[in-house]
Amino acid sequence: MLKLYFEVAKRSFQRTLTYRAAAVAGLATNIFFGLLRVAILLALYGDRQVVEGYTVAGVITYTGLSQAVIAYLSLFGWYDFMYAVHRGDVAADLLKPMNLFSFWLAQDLGRAVASLLLRGVTFMLIYEIFFDLTYPTTIWAWLALATSLLLSWLVSFAWRFLVNTAAFWSPNARGFGRFAFLSVLFFSGFLMPLAFFPAWVQKLASFTPFPYLLNTVVEIYLGIVSGPALVEALLLQAAWALGLIVLVQAVLRFGLRRLVILGG
Amino acid sequence: MLSIVHVSKLEKTFHVRRYHQGRWASLQNLVTRRSRLIRAVDGIDFTIEAGELVGYLGPNGAGKSTTIKMLTGLLVPSSGRLIVNGFVPWKDRRHYVARIGAVFGQRTTLWWDLPVIESFELHRHLYQIPTGRFKRNLAEFNDLLELAPFLDVPVRSLSLGQRMRADICAALLHDPELLFFDEPTIGLDVVAKERIRNFIRHINEERETTVLLTTHDIADVQRLCRRVMIIDRGKLIFDGELARLLERFGGHHRLIVDFAESYAEVAVIGAELLSYSDQRAIYRFDRRKITAPALIQAVSERYAIRDLSIEEPDIETTIRTIYEKRLL
Repeated sequence: MLKLYFEVAKRSFQRTLTYRAAAVAGLATNIFFGLLRVAILLALYGDRQVVEGYTVAGVITYTGLSQAVIAYLSLFGWYDFMYAVHRGDVAADLLKPMNLFSFWLAQDLGRAVASLLLRGVTFMLIYEIFFDLTYPTTIWAWLALATSLLLSWLVSFAWRFLVNTAAFWSPNARGFGRFAFLSVLFFSGFLMPLAFFPAWVQKLASFTPFPYLLNTVVEIYLGIVSGPALVEALLLQAAWALGLIVLVQAVLRFGLRRLVILGG
Repeated sequence: MLSIVHVSKLEKTFHVRRYHQGRWASLQNLVTRRSRLIRAVDGIDFTIEAGELVGYLGPNGAGKSTTIKMLTGLLVPSSGRLIVNGFVPWKDRRHYVARIGAVFGQRTTLWWDLPVIESFELHRHLYQIPTGRFKRNLAEFNDLLELAPFLDVPVRSLSLGQRMRADICAALLHDPELLFFDEPTIGLDVVAKERIRNFIRHINEERETTVLLTTHDIADVQRLCRRVMIIDRGKLIFDGELARLLERFGGHHRLIVDFAESYAEVAVIGAELLSYSDQRAIYRFDRRKITAPALIQAVSERYAIRDLSIEEPDIETTIRTIYEKRLL
């Protein structure tokens, strides 16, 4: 069973690697906006050395990290499944003896890993030329980071897929998608670290899965959460991932009954 | 014989959104929803025996593809009963599709950006095909479909004919008991079509795989199918042997006569004169009413004949007549 996931993911990984030119273009854009965000944040910091637990080096690293995972987590939106339903290409997926969600999950894993290498690791290496970045210092911190990154991808994918299932109910669900993905940018701590927001925004965000998609990764990377709080953060990430996956499977079961594949 | 497909009172209805037209249309479209109920499949019944090769015909929009999509577990029927290979396709989709194969001429199941062989290899894992079996099947299909030259080429770079051959191979690697072809020869040239027909026949005869085939190409039907089903506006209007279809609806043969001399009038009893010019007459006759020798004798008794020929009723004309006149 895991072997099958691996085989699907492997092909999706290869497929993502074939688009090298697109990766280079994306990388350049990420770097440009990363520098811009650093300039804005440093202007806001002024003479202050620490804001809400973020040091100057920390906040610079934060911009790097959040830019580096844009492609890995498809932060700006993802409509592939929606298109597959609208164009009827989902037929080809349904002819395969594999759970539909699992098939797409495995594909996205391959895409995500390729993006993490092409757009994530490369980005951090280039960023390192411009700035002094901070890094996790212990092997445990790296392990926690890796776990958190994996869970954040799961939360992200389950959310993206859930949004895409709107395709079963509407012939044009892009508007809804845009709203759903903008919410991610805001409440995940992509625009600003969540700690910078007023308490009520943080409270509101904590009822959504979005902080577990990025903010948690950042706080673990920078060591802002540690010890029992870190374990709790990872558990919450896992719980959201699991909850969303269960929800998606249920929604999918209803959606497939409504499926209409027109033409050919 | 064993029935592999049972269909009874099968229905599929869709709601198709209708948009307002005119000056206030966009506003009206925003606040009201009008839809029309389409009965794509309107209560059909049939069974297919194991090992049969059945042609499923009908004009565009008649409900062919919708039927196939229900049979392959992609769509959930609105009502009726559907049991294929012991499964209710949509309910137990994953187990069901593991034992069938389907080719949709308009779509591909292959990985667009990857070499063809990658898709095949993935199928080996998806369907848990034993390696030996996989290699033997691939070798056999390679012989018949000549896949070797493009196995390592990305699917997006293939010609339509190559892509179709690759798709057909992919649908068969796991030895399905039942095969669905939805317009497998669409858009292909004559040679490519013939190759695919030969392959389908080979699969049906050598492997005894049951095949259900939809097509608009009458040659596909003539070469492959003994039995045809015709669907029109959601209803099954004919189900039987191809020969019987011709007997029933294509009963007209044509006699073409070249006369040795010019005659002012060449009508004969028992046949309808379709045209007469330049000493050539074309008659249409019903073989159940008058035999060809009798007609030829009737003509030759009255006129001097230089040459003559008889045309069999062709299936294309027959089916066209059925579609056009909705004969059934």
